[in-house]
Amino acid sequence: MALVSMRQVAVAFPRRRAGVLNGITLDIAPHERVLVIGGSGSGKSTLLQLVSGVIPHSVTAEVEGTVTVAGVDTGATSVVELSRIVAVLAQDPASGICLPTVEEEIALPMENRGVDPAVIPARIDAALEAAGVTRLRTRRTTQLSGGEGQRVALAAALAAEPALLLLDEPTSMLDSAGVSAVRDAIAASVARYSPAVILVEHRLDEFAGRAGLAALPERTIVLGADGTLAADGPTGEVLAEHARALTASGCWLPIGNELDAVFGGVGGLDSPVVRAGLLALGRPSPRGEPEGAPGPTEAPRPARSPTLLAATHLAVSRTRTARRTRAPHTPVLSGVDLDLRAGQVVALLGANGSGKSTLLLTLAGLLPATAGTVVGERPGMVFQNPEHQFVAHTVSGEVGYGLPPGSDALVARLLDDHGLGHLADQSPHRLSGGEKRRVSLAAMLAHGRGTLLADEPTFGLDRRATIGVIGALRGAAREGAAVMFSSHDLRTVATLADRAVVVAHGRVVANGPVFHVLRDESVLAEAHLALPPLIRWLLENVDSDAGVLRVLRALDSEVAVPAAAS
Amino acid sequence: MTVADSPLARRNPTVKFGLLVVVSLALLFVFEPLTPAVLYVVALLAVAAGSGIRPRLLLLGHLPFVGVAVGLLLVNALSRPGIEIARLGLLRVTEEGVEVGAALGLRTLVIGVLALGFVASTDGVRLMTSLHQHARLGLRFTYAVLAGYRTLEELPREWQLIRHAHAVRARPGARGGPLGGVRAFARAGFALLVVSLRRGERLAMALESRGLGLAPRTIWRPVALTGTDAVFAAASLVVLAAVFALTLPR
Repeated sequence: MALVSMRQVAVAFPRRRAGVLNGITLDIAPHERVLVIGGSGSGKSTLLQLVSGVIPHSVTAEVEGTVTVAGVDTGATSVVELSRIVAVLAQDPASGICLPTVEEEIALPMENRGVDPAVIPARIDAALEAAGVTRLRTRRTTQLSGGEGQRVALAAALAAEPALLLLDEPTSMLDSAGVSAVRDAIAASVARYSPAVILVEHRLDEFAGRAGLAALPERTIVLGADGTLAADGPTGEVLAEHARALTASGCWLPIGNELDAVFGGVGGLDSPVVRAGLLALGRPSPRGEPEGAPGPTEAPRPARSPTLLAATHLAVSRTRTARRTRAPHTPVLSGVDLDLRAGQVVALLGANGSGKSTLLLTLAGLLPATAGTVVGERPGMVFQNPEHQFVAHTVSGEVGYGLPPGSDALVARLLDDHGLGHLADQSPHRLSGGEKRRVSLAAMLAHGRGTLLADEPTFGLDRRATIGVIGALRGAAREGAAVMFSSHDLRTVATLADRAVVVAHGRVVANGPVFHVLRDESVLAEAHLALPPLIRWLLENVDSDAGVLRVLRALDSEVAVPAAAS
Repeated sequence: MTVADSPLARRNPTVKFGLLVVVSLALLFVFEPLTPAVLYVVALLAVAAGSGIRPRLLLLGHLPFVGVAVGLLLVNALSRPGIEIARLGLLRVTEEGVEVGAALGLRTLVIGVLALGFVASTDGVRLMTSLHQHARLGLRFTYAVLAGYRTLEELPREWQLIRHAHAVRARPGARGGPLGGVRAFARAGFALLVVSLRRGERLAMALESRGLGLAPRTIWRPVALTGTDAVFAAASLVVLAAVFALTLPR
């Protein structure tokens, strides 16, 4: 008998135009592992919430058809009751953990299911071991990093031995080290407990990692833009068949699938067809450069354009936020010298906790410098979580905030440029992640500040939204702004930045043209940065930096980007 | 904060909490200083010896309570009508005022030192488990408090982040700095509310998805309620009664 069964399921939310899911019929067998993919807003999360009972019990929606889990109708059974069968690992580690210590957190679901207290300690150990975090057993949960928190949450979800595990973009809020740790923990834990798994994920390139397809569930369901079942079958076949459409809709496919689809090859970077295609894309087209912006190395601009923000011997620390630290004046970073120049995009790279955000906050004038100086007009800055910055109740109010009267035309233009026109009257808090990011960028660009800083502007976004952000920041630079952004996504960095600054061990370890920095193995190793296979291959095989950039931009153009600033 | 082992840490949290409440209630009816003074000395000794609290922390922890106590003493000494015992310019110090003020101030110190001992010797999860086990407090309430506490711990960081995020949004003021003021404060407050509500919502969902509210349920490490706790409670009450009997004017 199927563990999960949906029959002609349709879901519609109040005050939304179209249904989110339409006519979904599917069965999932016990122990079966299923990947659910689709573009932004295709109803992936909705599908999970139907199974966990969150819809219709906690989130109001009109549901047609029936959803059963282990023979139980989810519409008629409470979330708590369903939790006997279903466990959930959510996106955000911070809100998935409820108790002060790790072992209590993992014991809670077992206590709730009435597990004999005598066997609980052994089962805590087993769950922690499967997730690879045995050493965290007695740790306070507030001290966990994102990757650790997610592994603890995974252990808590599986310790109670549910029949079904729902994974809702479990790695999308983590840095690259966290992604690989959580991916391995999921693989080992699922092997140990063998629940059925439904995985929703759009960052398949990172989630699959080096193992590629082998790291993904064996069955894949594709949700179409209209909320229907666009495909359902073995992962390899489905990805091969739908790669082009999925890429166009903004999914991040495993790199092999993406390249095979673009060039019609088999085997990704190992395929001669793909390799020839990439090399061809890298050669300058006879008609000259189609892109408005010249590549980084052929641009003599850096030397000539004026410096808009200059940091000299700068030392930064979080004195104002961490009052309780014993040595408040130990800087996170010191001896930082950098110039942000008009028309240039600078990437700020480094491992989590290396001081990237603190440096950006200090450059923005929000934290006092511990030593040294920052000279220049006060920059604008967009924060990692756009919600932190929202001040108005509508999208147009948000973009127009702080502008002089009579700026309606500017606001209207910005809304159109960033594909927000149809959302002008919505609350910014109700938008999707990509839309929120576009609002926060448009609101900052509205002020035309000379320097724009962005803290992880593409974090947690799907590929289409990421390309939108790249276009917006590139556009700001083209209009003369100096842009600096932090990121852990080296493909985005290579596509967007002219220069890169790398921080590690409390200092700047590299500062130069982006491809120069990315070719420096010792710098990458020192900052714990791992080049994605595609970037590595391009840097080794395409003869000019401008060629590498041409390839990356051409690959991005495979994605259908709605009206964006580029 | 982890709780080190100590005689008080081994006592049942609900019993400790109950005793704290009893002492506070009993002192409500005392307006002369001797009883709370003696109680304070007894409580201080008991907490210092029994809770394993570091002397430095015990001392620092006193600061807010001493502040309140001094305030109570001054306000009462200077404002209560009665027999004048001293004059400070226009202000009269009265005998009744000093007596009542000292009583109220010392009451604050007694409750303060007991609260310090309670906090230093009680783990949050043990307290909530015990309140559920022994005081029949609902599970939804006790776990909501624990989860809420986690959110609370994050609030200062979150607030700083939002203030920063909003400072960038504001129009630069005359001197190039961000505009501040009450409205900016209110806006940041609203953002904090929205962010906290979302987090609370997600935490509630997380608790539900972990099966909070299923029955029957087990308790992995139940909090013990033993004969020693009964002896401890009885002894504490006897001491309390003795101090009252010996010090209250007849």
